[in-house]
Amino acid sequence: MIKIWSMKKNEDAASKKKPKTSAAQIRVQKDLTELDLPSTMQTHFPDPADLLNFTLTITPDEGMYKGGAFTFSFAINTNYPHDPPKVKCTQTIYHPNVDLEGNVCLNILREDWKPVLNLNSVMVGLQYLFLEPNADDPLNKEAALEMSKNRDQFLNNVRNSMRGGNIKGVQYDSVIVR
Amino acid sequence: MASQENGTSASADWPGRYHHIDQVLNTPGPRTDPGFLAGDGVKDFLRNQAKILVIGAGGLGCEILANLALTGFKDIHVIDMDTIDISNLNRQFLFRQKDVGYPKATVAAEFIMKRVPGVKVTPYFGKIQDKDDEYYMQFNLVICGLDSVEARRWMNATLVNLVDPENPDSLKPMIDGGTEGFKGQARVILPTITSCYECSLDMFNKPTAFPICTIANTPRLPEHCIEWASVLEWPRVHGEKKMDTDDPEHIGWLYKIASARAAEFNIEGVTWSLTQGVVKNIIPAIASTNAVIAAACCNEAFKIATSSAAFLDNYFMLIGTDGVYSYTFTHKKRDDCPVCGGEALEMTISPEMTVEELIETLTEKQDIQIKKPSLSTSAPTKQIYLQAPPQLEKATRPNLEKKVKEFVQEGGEITVTASTLPFNLSLRISYSTPA
Amino acid sequence: MASQDVETVTTALATEAAPDAKTRRYDRQLRLWAASGQNALESSRILVISGSATSTSILKNLVLPGIGHFTIIDPNQVTPEDAGNNFFLEGPSSIGKSRAEEAVRLLLELNDGVDGKADVRSLEHVLENSKEWLSEFTIVIAHNLEAALLEQLASLLWADESYTPLVVVRSAGFLAEVYIQYHEHAVIESHPETPQSLHIDKAFPSLLEYSTSLDFENMDVTDHGHVPYVVILVRVLEDWKKTHNGSPPLSYEEKQEFKKAIFAMRKKSDEENFDEAVAQAYRAWAKTSVPSDISALFEDEKVRSLSPTSPPFFHLLHALQRFATEQPSHALPLTSALPDMKASTESYIHLQTLYKAHAEEEKAIFKSYLQVPVEDDIVDAFVKNSHALRLQKGKKWGTLDADPASLAAALETAPKALAIHLALTVLSSYVAKQPADVPLSPTAEALTAEALTLLPPGTELPDEFDEALGEVVRAPTADLPNTAALLGGIVAQEVIKMITKQYIPINGSCLIDLIETWTGIL
Repeated sequence: MIKIWSMKKNEDAASKKKPKTSAAQIRVQKDLTELDLPSTMQTHFPDPADLLNFTLTITPDEGMYKGGAFTFSFAINTNYPHDPPKVKCTQTIYHPNVDLEGNVCLNILREDWKPVLNLNSVMVGLQYLFLEPNADDPLNKEAALEMSKNRDQFLNNVRNSMRGGNIKGVQYDSVIVR
Repeated sequence: MASQENGTSASADWPGRYHHIDQVLNTPGPRTDPGFLAGDGVKDFLRNQAKILVIGAGGLGCEILANLALTGFKDIHVIDMDTIDISNLNRQFLFRQKDVGYPKATVAAEFIMKRVPGVKVTPYFGKIQDKDDEYYMQFNLVICGLDSVEARRWMNATLVNLVDPENPDSLKPMIDGGTEGFKGQARVILPTITSCYECSLDMFNKPTAFPICTIANTPRLPEHCIEWASVLEWPRVHGEKKMDTDDPEHIGWLYKIASARAAEFNIEGVTWSLTQGVVKNIIPAIASTNAVIAAACCNEAFKIATSSAAFLDNYFMLIGTDGVYSYTFTHKKRDDCPVCGGEALEMTISPEMTVEELIETLTEKQDIQIKKPSLSTSAPTKQIYLQAPPQLEKATRPNLEKKVKEFVQEGGEITVTASTLPFNLSLRISYSTPA
Repeated sequence: MASQDVETVTTALATEAAPDAKTRRYDRQLRLWAASGQNALESSRILVISGSATSTSILKNLVLPGIGHFTIIDPNQVTPEDAGNNFFLEGPSSIGKSRAEEAVRLLLELNDGVDGKADVRSLEHVLENSKEWLSEFTIVIAHNLEAALLEQLASLLWADESYTPLVVVRSAGFLAEVYIQYHEHAVIESHPETPQSLHIDKAFPSLLEYSTSLDFENMDVTDHGHVPYVVILVRVLEDWKKTHNGSPPLSYEEKQEFKKAIFAMRKKSDEENFDEAVAQAYRAWAKTSVPSDISALFEDEKVRSLSPTSPPFFHLLHALQRFATEQPSHALPLTSALPDMKASTESYIHLQTLYKAHAEEEKAIFKSYLQVPVEDDIVDAFVKNSHALRLQKGKKWGTLDADPASLAAALETAPKALAIHLALTVLSSYVAKQPADVPLSPTAEALTAEALTLLPPGTELPDEFDEALGEVVRAPTADLPNTAALLGGIVAQEVIKMITKQYIPINGSCLIDLIETWTGIL
């Protein structure tokens, strides 16, 4: 064998010994402990020992979704941050950018994800959806249509849905903060 | 020249067998390291001592196994978790129609042993993650012929982590190859010395992902219709039932749903083949590109194992679509690489020291400027103390009063992250003997 | 397809069954060269001279993707040395048997669809007695063929333009060279990475009409955010030209102003289609015209002296030239390939329909310029790739070595590549002078002296030459398994490109150094 060891520079012996924690684990630890979230967002870990699966609850304090508490599940795989976290809304909500299955239309969760982004950017992006829903690129087309054609009706529907109402045959989950 | 091989223990060797290889093992060349010991010593190492691990027995793996066997490696191990599919047969040349459905590692190993006398190939049909450090420690070299970023990251991190400053044998060169159509790359990774796989993670393209709202509302391409079927319709209709992209019935269903959607929106071009290509993220693969890349990898393994010539420093990229274009360059190590970068500190502490005291000691250390560190252990991963978010801080707060000893054994490690550190810090803990 | 009516075709599309076994086997390569490439491979017949490790490695990578036929011509018996480095021999049990027969037998196990034959005649015998036999093959590959014989073969195959291309492969130890001898190689499907022009600066009538008919100001916000950028650019350019004497933006300032005009149309700050329009704004001023390397092809002798018997490629080029000259766009025909862009389904499909319709019109005009009938598939491919056509002109093997001035020039411009070439050349001249059955032991001094005789008097050899020569001296007859395997890949790749006439093969020599893991072109 070629004498590779001699290629190691004269560095102090310990300085290159690496931890056995996976790169994904380290990144998640770094991301989570450096989260800079406003009081409107809260994480919850069903199992505090498992950093890879948790939920985020957003309680907007302004805008049309004020008064609601919206919960998203986060599932991070071992290929993070090469792969983005998988995020789904756990409730059935009336929102132009969230469909009835809980899929979320947020570019950085899919086509624009890059390893330099982090969990904080995803969470801030999610909160923005509640402050500024985007009717132009909808997932819930009905809601988007209502939003751009008849804003008052849309606001009504939002309030109604948040109370657990039924809109056009769809039963929404009550998300009102008690 | 014909009878110079070292055949003491390998009974299968016949006179003249290594006539070709021995020409470069008997004599150094102009670019051979002066440390090269031409002749019997190097042949004995190659043929009787070297133990090499091949990860993957697919397109690259088949080629790698054949090349290694012919160059004189006699103790080869191979890991692959897949079974043989008919679409492998256009390039994975150790497999035949009759082998479809059988484990790749086993069939490949048997073929090599039958074809090249005296070579022992030990297959493992399973995942690389099934094996522990002790297993990986037994090899001199590792060659990867993988098609997944995830598996490469795991293997890379495992080999980087294996490096023990007190044990030169713990440093295992990793040679990694990859191909896509007429393009490919081969690289040599000397864990902790050269750039590692993780250092270059941002170089690799992720498969194209389409915006989910485009898929849901404004499909324009046949691919959008296929993604509609697989990403939105499958879970909606089938619930928890997992989609199996190797199941023709599942592909058939997706194809039907995608075709219907395409027809609704006047989009042309949804075919069975495209459906399969999109949902399986199929990358075109041909025997010839695999042959080039596998040969480059094995050639590096041979040169490293024998010192018979200088080896690749450290990245070779091939583009064969327009002539033969290649680029050989040194990929730079990243200081903030989460796998091979970062800092490590050796700390000797009192066995009585609490976690809180350790954190205080860390924040007082002038040379590392650390503020609000979060601590965890590795293997198995366990949080010791996290500064945030509040729930986790609260959950780990009781640990502050506990002794470090309860979490880490002598020689064990603690991973430290902090916003003031651009990367992570690793602490290797030893305990001072109580007086 | 042509005889089926539309309804059958549509039904067939919607109910296409799972692919058959052959399609499944070749799936991963069909995604590169499609059925047309596969058909070309399956009709090809390949001759390989010698059953060396390198030769069988090459053939392995051609048998697997499914060539039609191969022949190995080799009069030799398997030696113990062969049995040690060739995967397509069965170790000691093959020793003493015909090398061609053993190799053919084992190669055929790779693919039932391929026909293979062992020919135990010597090449000398064939060249003396049945030269015409060589014309049965699509391509001939020769590995480490003795210099004089190679020269004889190369001259023979060069004698007429219609003769078979020859791939010359030489290797020793860690060094190797691949050369393809052909007079001319035309490529229609070059698989370019750059797409065709969208003709935004020369918008065709229906596109122009559609773009100017839209009432952007009174459009619904959602619709406004989904107008394809192509339409936005055509519109902004049209408006711009009205106030700028019909010219597109030319100066840097004007181009910035043009981009501002695009942004000024936005209804909201986050309209992605307008972001795309700004990012693609150069298309409004980058003039759509015939690329210079394509117009250079119009000057080819075979286009200028076109006759009914000229190959279709030149008829197509001639028609392309007429199209570019006579049509008002003075450009290549429009293609219907529209990239994906932010748009609603309706607006995108509408735009696509406009492109398709106009592309069909232009294709009809293009076809009317053809003086001989050409198959529709070929016309389609030609028009689609008309911006990326290639016509490579080759040289006879040995041209470089016969010209001291060219060698000296290459020594300056590509020292590493030339050093490898020269080292392999002097090695083969040395071998030719040695009596057979005597172990080769060339010295650096003797080979250097030989090299100097090829170069202009007084030429100084660079360090790269010593580095290459040292390897050749060290391993003059070594057909190393890894070198053989790598050559097997590179040569098969080039042969596939030659046969399928897809992608672009090398034009000249490819030099390989497996110490630094480096390749270069001469």
